[in-house]
Formats: sequence, C-alpha cells, structure tokens
Amino acid sequence: MSITLGQYLILSGILFAVGLCGALTRRNAIIVLMGIEIMFNAGILNLVVFWHYQHFATLTPQMFAIFAIAVAAAESAIGLALVIAIYRHYKSVDVDEMRALKG
Amino acid sequence: MNAAFWILSAMSLIGALLAISLRNLVHCVLSLILFFLGIAGHYFLLRADFLGAVQILIYIGAVAVLILFAIMLTRNVTGTEGPRELFGLGWWTGLGTALIVAAVVWVTVDSAPQAATRSPGQAVSSVEQIGKSLLNQWVVPLEVLGVLLTAALIGAVVIALEEVVRRR
Amino acid sequence: MEQLIHQQWLIPIFPLIAAAIQSLLPRKARKLSATLCIGAMAISCVFALRAFLASYGGAHGHEVEHHAERVFTTFTWFSFGTTDLTMGFLLDPLTAAMAAMVTFVGLMIFINATGYMAEDENFTRFFCFLSLFAAAMLGLVVANNLLMLFMCWELVGLCSYLLIGFWYFKPSAAAAMKKAFITTRIGDVGFFIGILLLYWQTGTLDLYTVDGTGALQQADKLAGLAGWWGLSMASFIALMLFIGAMGKSAQFPLHVWLPDAMEGPTPVSALIHAATMVAAGVFMVGRMFPLFIAEAGNWVMDVVLWVGCFTALFSATIAVAQFDIKRVLAYSTCSQLGFMMMGLGAEGLTGGQFHLLTHAFFKALLFLGSGCVIIGTHHEQDMRKMGGLRKYMPITFVTYVIGMLALAGFPGTAGFFSKDLILLNTFHASKLAWGLATFAAFLTAFYMTRQVFMVFFGTWRGGVGEQHGHPPSPHGFGAAHEPHEVPWNMWVPIAVLSLFAIGLGWWEHGYHHFVAPQEVIPADGKGMVMGLSVLVGLLGILCGWLIYGRKTLAHATDPDPLQAMLGAPFTWLNRKWYIDEIYDATIIYVTGVLGRFFRLVDKVVVDGILHAIAWVAWGISQVTRWVGDEFLINGGFDTGCESVRGWGRIFSKLQSGRVQSYFRVLGLGVALLFLLYYLK
Repeated sequence: MSITLGQYLILSGILFAVGLCGALTRRNAIIVLMGIEIMFNAGILNLVVFWHYQHFATLTPQMFAIFAIAVAAAESAIGLALVIAIYRHYKSVDVDEMRALKG
Repeated sequence: MNAAFWILSAMSLIGALLAISLRNLVHCVLSLILFFLGIAGHYFLLRADFLGAVQILIYIGAVAVLILFAIMLTRNVTGTEGPRELFGLGWWTGLGTALIVAAVVWVTVDSAPQAATRSPGQAVSSVEQIGKSLLNQWVVPLEVLGVLLTAALIGAVVIALEEVVRRR
Repeated sequence: MEQLIHQQWLIPIFPLIAAAIQSLLPRKARKLSATLCIGAMAISCVFALRAFLASYGGAHGHEVEHHAERVFTTFTWFSFGTTDLTMGFLLDPLTAAMAAMVTFVGLMIFINATGYMAEDENFTRFFCFLSLFAAAMLGLVVANNLLMLFMCWELVGLCSYLLIGFWYFKPSAAAAMKKAFITTRIGDVGFFIGILLLYWQTGTLDLYTVDGTGALQQADKLAGLAGWWGLSMASFIALMLFIGAMGKSAQFPLHVWLPDAMEGPTPVSALIHAATMVAAGVFMVGRMFPLFIAEAGNWVMDVVLWVGCFTALFSATIAVAQFDIKRVLAYSTCSQLGFMMMGLGAEGLTGGQFHLLTHAFFKALLFLGSGCVIIGTHHEQDMRKMGGLRKYMPITFVTYVIGMLALAGFPGTAGFFSKDLILLNTFHASKLAWGLATFAAFLTAFYMTRQVFMVFFGTWRGGVGEQHGHPPSPHGFGAAHEPHEVPWNMWVPIAVLSLFAIGLGWWEHGYHHFVAPQEVIPADGKGMVMGLSVLVGLLGILCGWLIYGRKTLAHATDPDPLQAMLGAPFTWLNRKWYIDEIYDATIIYVTGVLGRFFRLVDKVVVDGILHAIAWVAWGISQVTRWVGDEFLINGGFDTGCESVRGWGRIFSKLQSGRVQSYFRVLGLGVALLFLLYYLK
C-alpha cells in the first residue's frame, strides 16, 4: 500500500503545528525564527506533495516551491539581521523584553 | 517505500520537535538541520530531485549556518536562554493553538475522500526541464527573485551593520 | 334725572383720584396735596349739589302729586362662572341729601384742616388720607349695592384707623387706632352675616333693580319667610345689619372706641367721628329701612329704640363729667347718635335722618371750634386750664355758642327741630324711652353749657404754661403764651357752618316731604312734647349757668363744682362707668387667654406638624441621597468607571508591545477560524 495524499498532508499539518507552537511559545527570538522556518518548510512540502499526487502536467508547483524557498531564505536572512541589530540594542534576544511598543 | 516515508517522517518530526524544545540553542539548530534533512528526503521521495538538492543546499547550507552565526553573535555567556516560562499563559496559548490547527487539519484530511484514495502520479521532473522553464516561462519571476535577493542582501547588511560606522 | 344717574360715579371719583395722586407726592408738596384734596372735594360738592337739586326739583315739580323718584344703575364688576358680581349707583332723596351734606361739610372741614395741621410735618399724608376717606364715604352714600356699600364701609373704617393713629408714635394714639378698628370689626361680623343672609334669601346684593328683584324691593317677600328667634327673615337680617350699625355708630356696648378716637387730629374728629363716618351706621339703617319695617310689630325696632335710648342717656351722663374739651364732644356725639337710632327705632325715618343732617353741621362746627380753641391755646385740651377765651377768640366764641345752642335744642336752631321730631316719634313708641330721652336732652344742654362757661368765660387759667417754642403768631394777636384767634382758613368754615346750624332746621317740613312723604308724623301730643323739650333745654342751660357761669373756676387746680356737689358719683361718671375696665377684665382677658392658648396650639400642633413634615422631607432627602445619589449614581457611576478602567487594564495587556503575544493572538484567531470553518 503506497502512501496516500492524506498521510502526507497530515504530516505537513503536524509539522506546521509544531512550527507554530515553537513560534508562539519560545522566548528566544532565534528559536521563533526557527519555528517560522519549520512552518515554511511544512508549507512547501505541502506544495510538492500536491504536485506529486495531483498529476499536474506542468512544473508550476515546483517552480512555486523553488521561489518559495528562495524567498524564505531571504526572509530568514533579514530576520536574523534584525535580531542581531536588536541584540545590540537590548543586549538580549528575549522577546519578552522587547516591549517598547507597549500600550 | 513506505518504510522510507515513515523513517523520514519520524526524522523530520523529531527534528522539528527538538528544534523548538531544546534549551541549548546550538542543539536546537542542529536538530533543525535534522529536520531539514528529513524534508529533503521527502522531496526525493516525491520525485522532486532538484528541490531536494536545493533544500539541502539552501536550507542546511545557508539558512542553518546563518542561524548559527546569529546565535554566535547574540550569545549570552552560557549560550542558554533565561528562565523559561514553562506552563505560563503564553505557553498554553501556543500549545493550544498548535493543537487546534493540527486537529483541524487531521480531521479535514480524514474527511476528504480523495485524500485517502489518491495514488501518486508519474510526474517526473528533471533539472533540465526546470532549467528550461525557468528561463522561458519563468524568466520574469526569476529576475524579480534576483532583485529581491539583492535587496535582501543589502538590507541585511545595512541592518546588521554596527553603529560604529554610523557614528562617524 | 335719567342721565344724571349715569354720572353719579362722578361724585366719589374725584377724591379717589386725588388720593391716588397724593399718595405719590413727597412730603414737601404740602400746598399741592391740600389743593388736590380741597379741589377734588369741591368738584364732588358741585356734582352732589347738582344731583341734589335735580332730585329735589323732581320732588317739587309742577304737579302736586309728583314726588322724588329713585333712579339707579348697575354695572357688572366681575363675573365668575355663571354668577356676576354687580355694583351700582343710586340717586334717591336720602342719597342726594346725604351726599350734599357730606361734600359740603367735608369741604368746610378740609379748609379748616389746612390751618389746624399747618405746623405738622406729615401734612401731605394727612390730606391724602382725608381724600381717601371722602371717596370711600361718598361711595358708601351713593352705593346701590351691598357689596359696594360694605367695601366702602370697610374703607372708611380703614381711613378712620389711619387717621386716628395719624400720630402713631404716640402710644395712646396707636392703642386708640387699634381699638377703633377692632371694635367696629366686631360689629361688622353682624353686618356681614346680614349681607350673606340677604344674598342667600334674595339672590342679589343690589338694593334696587329695574325688574324689582332688588334686595330691598323683596322686603315684603322676606317678611313672609321665617327667620330665627321668633323673627321673620327680613327682621332677622335687619337685626344683623343693626349690629354693624352699632359698631360703626358707637352704640352701647360697642361705643368704647369713639372717645379714644379723639387721639386723632381734631379735623379728623370733626369729619369722621361727628359728621360722616359714625353717621354711616345711622344712614345704613335708614337705607335698609324697608327691611326693618317689613314685618309689622317685630322686636328689632324695639331693640334699635332701646339701644339708642340707653346710649343717649348713658353717654350724656359721662359727658357731664369730662375735662377734655374733645371728650365732652365725643360723648356728646355718642349720645346724639343714640338719639338718631332711637328715632329710627320709633319708626321715624324722617326724624332720625334729619337729625343726622343737622347734627353733622353743628357737631362739625363744634369740633372745628374746639380745634380752633386748641390751636389758639397752643395745643391745650384740658378745659380746666382754659377760660375767658371769649376775649381772645371772639369769632370762635360766637360760632361755638351757636353750635352749643343748636345741640342743646334751643328754639329756632336746627337741633331744636330735629330733636323735637325724634322726641315726638319716641313719645308715640314708648313713654319710658321718651322720658329717658328728655332727661338726656336736659343733660345735653347742661354739659354743653358747662363746657362753654368753662372754656370761654371767666379768666384765662392757662397762664404761663410750658415752653412751646412757638413763634409769635403772624397776625400779632396776643403774646407768645396767651391764646389768640385763629387765621381765616380756620374761622371762615365754622362761620359758614354756624349759618347752617341756625337755618337748616327750618327745612324740616321740606325734608320730610322730600325723603319720606309717605310717612305719617303723629300729631298727638306734639305741643306737649315740643313744650317739654324746650323747657328741659332751657333748664339745662340754666343749671349750667348756675353751677359754672356765676362763679367760674379761678385756677386750673380748683375742683369742679359738680364734683364737689356729687362726690363719688362724679368720679364714676368721669371714669366712663368703668366700662373699659370691665371689658378689660372680662372680654379682653378671655381673648388674651384664648390668644395665648392658640399661640400654644400654633407652636405645638401647627409648628409640630410643620416640623414633622420638614423632618420627614429631610429624612426622605437623606435616604434619597444615600440610596439614590451616593449609592446608585455615585456608586453606579464610580463602579461603571472602575469597571471600564478594569477592563481597560485587562485589555491593555493585549498591547504588551511584545511581538510574540501579538503573534499568539493572531495564531489563536486563525485557529479558531479554522475551527469554525470546519464546524460549518
């Protein structure tokens, strides 16, 4: 019995949930970014799974996936640069301490 | 083939879980790499060879290293974070949200009849095909992507630049 | 005469307008005030005389049978609902003669008053009150309506109050003004009951109406209705009205205010308490006469007769023993009013009303004369300190003697004719009353003679007297403390009045024909009565001369010869039979007790209820404050604000500034959306 679409989707769903949990729960900004990366990957996996199981004639989902990966990478670069800049200012990467916008 | 799926799934799942739960940041990154590997494996399993290679190259080779650099640059002395707020309101919110999402997805998928019966297709992608379509159909997005990456590069450099430079 | 009645309102209106203007004048406007007063009265006099002549002309028209008509007019004063309150004017012989007398005598008195009050600083106010009084009295006389009559009745009472207490800063004057008002008010209770009964039984307050429904026109109908106390309704009403007349005309027992009213200035005494206001009671009885005689043989007429008779005798006895020149005249007025009432009680309308007319002239003359004496002797009023004034004040002396003779009933004078008529009527009503009245006539002659001899004959006993700060009189008569004659504006009026005192009596027959032609004057015993009254008059003068004239008092402190003769009774008469003291001990005392009791009731019950209500209101307000204001409003409001602030505090935690918490909320929201989407 081969793996069904459903199983793959459940997998990517669980991975997405794990990434979401990490992003919402951890206090370290870098871990949060890591959680976001996990969520990204789960999403892109979803894309590829659908390409594989939906008999797409074109390579469009793959292209989408390639571009998504590229954008994700750019985004993580910017995010980490921000974290570094914030670290310089706050001397810590604890998100709980970054509440200058409070109120 | 199923076994590969299960092994790879376990790998990525464990990697993800560890990535968000370990105390030591570097350990987190390492398990993140494990996760990426698992995903790459899934890509290979799904006959998206190029994507799998790209995943390894980009995510593990660039993003994970970048995160490591960031950790190194933003270290606390011990490299660990401060006291955790385990079982705090935020923790429960996060967990709850995740669980809800997971549950919804699971149940949705279970209730969709197609998801159960769909069998994998025969689509194969080759690097040649991808390259050709990148430069024919997808050339504009490619170029835009180039611009985006350039912008991201410059932006990251500017943001992370030390203030010492500005004070001059 | 028809158009004249519609101008009848002109008679009282001028003094009223004058009073209104004078009330606004400053104190310095003395000449203006006096001019307005006298001018208004003169105009009213002209109109009154015109009305009189028109009415009299109707009486003595070309036809023998033609006699004076009675014309009247009414107007609506105000209406409420379906009933109207009307007022009206009347012109009949009684009114015409009375109005002419009031205006003319009033005019004389006003002129005299300019001299009497010349040194008083409240001159302007005095003439304002005089004008008001004149307006009210004339309104009373021309009224065709009991409401208007009563209003004017009360107004003259008010003016009497104001004028008696003109020098209100004197405690005796303040007491006298109150006494006058309150005593007449007691009588007015009866008057008012009478008016109410009349209105109730006849449905109208008009005396005469065109369709014969006037109160007096229904007298026969009322005589047929049964009243109380064995009387018909007409007679009972008459009795009640007579009680009012008793108060106003100072009949016993409500006479006590009249002597004390002498506290007012002498022109006031002349006008109000001799000629006009006190005569209003007699006039009112005369006006309401149809009610009095409607029921044949009722005992109200007997009451009137005996009250009058007793008052006449009683006051005459007191007058004999008085030393104040005005008190003698006051009691004399009281006595003469008693004569008038007695005459009316004997069913002699002519006699009573004619005596009223003549009495007004010579009593005003006497009072004004006494006023001249008082001014001439620099405000001396005790007769024992006077004497020999005929040398100093000849004009006053002559006119005063004329007045005295008229009052004593000296043959030929006005008083002789009118008093004689009364005595004749009384003779036919009750021999006893006639006898007592004749004795009172004797006393009248006696005390007047006593007064004249004490004041004008003998030697001047005033002598050195007190310092007055009185400047030498402008006409240079006598030195600063010697008596002097009065200026022309004081003796001319009394000279005019003395002419009437002599001559008016001869009009008796004309008056009878004019006012009450249907009345039959009994002819039996006329000669005997007349002769006896002349005799007692001369006898009284003789006794007066014997006791006071032959040997006049030498010094002011000499005892009164009569006192020496009578001893203790003299003191009793001098003290007015101790009536005031009796009243004080009984009625006043009881009233005082009641007053104190009610004051206590007021304090405890009424104030107690008031305090209780206030306390309850305060309590309610406190409760409302606690519950309503503090608890509900403040508390509610505060709680509301607090809860808003609390919720704000809670919600502001959402804006923590922490990205992760925003992210959490976002994620939770998306998850819930998924859930909802799935559940759909």
